[in-house]
Amino acid sequence: MRRLSRSSYRRVLAVLMAAYVLLMLFAWPAVRQVHAPAARIALALAPVVPVIGVIALMARRVMGGDELEQRVHMLALGAATALVAVASLVAGFLAAAGVLALGGDVLIFVFPALCVLYGALHWRIARHYGGGCR
Amino acid sequence: MKNTLRTLRERSGWSQAELAARLDVSRQTVNAIETGRYDPSLPLAFRIAGLFGSTIESIFDPEE
Repeated sequence: MRRLSRSSYRRVLAVLMAAYVLLMLFAWPAVRQVHAPAARIALALAPVVPVIGVIALMARRVMGGDELEQRVHMLALGAATALVAVASLVAGFLAAAGVLALGGDVLIFVFPALCVLYGALHWRIARHYGGGCR
Repeated sequence: MKNTLRTLRERSGWSQAELAARLDVSRQTVNAIETGRYDPSLPLAFRIAGLFGSTIESIFDPEE
């Protein structure tokens, strides 16, 4: 697969994240005012579209990398997924036991938490291999 | 695993970026291999050996 340059990656990522922010600011708040089920579902899920674009972009970036870059991405993603899974499990059990009061809205933060952890772990693991891996 | 990649590269007069381009990997990967932080896969080791007209065992030393 053709290597995605860092500038191209950042440009597409910026466009997708801008779309996400605009949808969250202007489209998503209207979800409670709309009563037609189809329109409500469309508005509620609209921010998912740019997020799927981000996931596809990240997948392209990983697939276009060399073997060390892929290793760093996979280690970071694996560790981030494990940490988010454990945190979700702990929060879920505490909520089920009535210790924590968590609504369904909290699920919105799972993907951003995964991204933040993935970014931090990628930086740390890349440093282990000499730093600077894309 | 220790290796002689840096010596071979410098003998050829290539920068890390030039060697990376010839091997179709990133400069960071070349640096990680040269410093012994990363052991390349067998296909990449064969590409390295082929590029320098050498054998894998003459470039990479698993004993050290």
